[in-house]
Amino acid sequence: MNDHELLIQRFLDQNLNPEERVAFLQAVDADTTLRRRWLNLEMVVAEATRLPRITPSPKFLQELKASLAPPSPSWWERMYAAVTTPRTLEWNLAGAAAAACVAIVSVAGLFAVISPRVVEVQVPAIPAQTIATSTKQEEPKVFVRLVLLQPGARSVSVAGDFNGWDPTQTKLERSDGGVWTATIPLKPGRYQYMFVIDGKQWIADPLAAEEATDGFGAQNAVLDVAI
Amino acid sequence: MPLDQQAVSEDAQLVARSLKQDHEAFGQLIDRHAPAIVNLAYRMVGNRAEAEDLAQESFLTAFKALSTFRADSKFSTWLYRIAANKCKDWLRTKRPGQGPYDLDADEVLDSHVAEHRTPEILLSQQQVAQELEQAIQRLPPLYREAFVLKHIEGLSYEEMEEILSVNGDTLKMRVYKGRLQLSRELASLNLSR
Repeated sequence: MNDHELLIQRFLDQNLNPEERVAFLQAVDADTTLRRRWLNLEMVVAEATRLPRITPSPKFLQELKASLAPPSPSWWERMYAAVTTPRTLEWNLAGAAAAACVAIVSVAGLFAVISPRVVEVQVPAIPAQTIATSTKQEEPKVFVRLVLLQPGARSVSVAGDFNGWDPTQTKLERSDGGVWTATIPLKPGRYQYMFVIDGKQWIADPLAAEEATDGFGAQNAVLDVAI
Repeated sequence: MPLDQQAVSEDAQLVARSLKQDHEAFGQLIDRHAPAIVNLAYRMVGNRAEAEDLAQESFLTAFKALSTFRADSKFSTWLYRIAANKCKDWLRTKRPGQGPYDLDADEVLDSHVAEHRTPEILLSQQQVAQELEQAIQRLPPLYREAFVLKHIEGLSYEEMEEILSVNGDTLKMRVYKGRLQLSRELASLNLSR
């Protein structure tokens, strides 16, 4: 590169100071060959700057961005991430109270739904022997009416096999005309009994169909109860 | 803030977001820089489809290597460097038969340029542009690269040094030889008509 070429290149690269630019322009004015070389080079630079610029096609931009996008995770990867991703639960008192209310209402509702179903569940049958024991029915009883005419008595009771010969257990009630009556339930069987007048006088039932000795020289009334 | 500095700042923010797996941010970087990268590749390889392929490779490489990008540098400079290397790799492997041009051998053409003629006089503007594009494609890759960055992309020698990792004087010499070669080709075109 000679001095003239160097000047041209520095002029094109805008590396000349003002004095050098003046000297260069005077030189090209005087030297037609230098002027021609400079103009040709200047033309190349000028034309290069206005060469048409191509615009990237939308398809190119779209494909390029798509190639950089992260791959869509599979169903399993999304599930795994959802299960294993650590989470932080943020809460406040109002939120916790609301959640507690919802929980209480839900549990109450659940019981309301479940209760009738419990009734409908079939319970395994209890063994027949047990049932027979627990539900053992009482033997049938016969109501027996005892009557004693004793107008002068203040109280009348009856003592016998059915009440352990206790004169205070079964009292007779007085009716009009000095008739004393009592109705007592008795199991079928044979009983001996006596009336006790005013708590001290023991007498056999004068209306009894049968009497039996008591072993002490007195007679007990005998009552046969049958269904 | 000057426009250029604002653009650099916006690029830095988009890079930071991209590093946090914000793919939309890198999409914006693509929108901002794809035209320049596609044009550089087009001027280097002379084919639009190949240029877009090279631009795509450049962006993919940049995306993968984004963590190595130094924030004290301009993203555009870093991207230009990746794209320039992609283009040279392509020229090296896809066009193995194309050797460097001997610029000095054509110097004699310069003396035949008619004094009163210029390319503009004899060729229409469209013809000049078409001939210039073809002439650029005939430049040796290293000269082509320097000329395109300087006069088509409008970069400074300082930026070119950073992109190409080549000394500034060497770059000025490459641009000079590129300009000279193109000037001779256009002048010879006028002589032949």
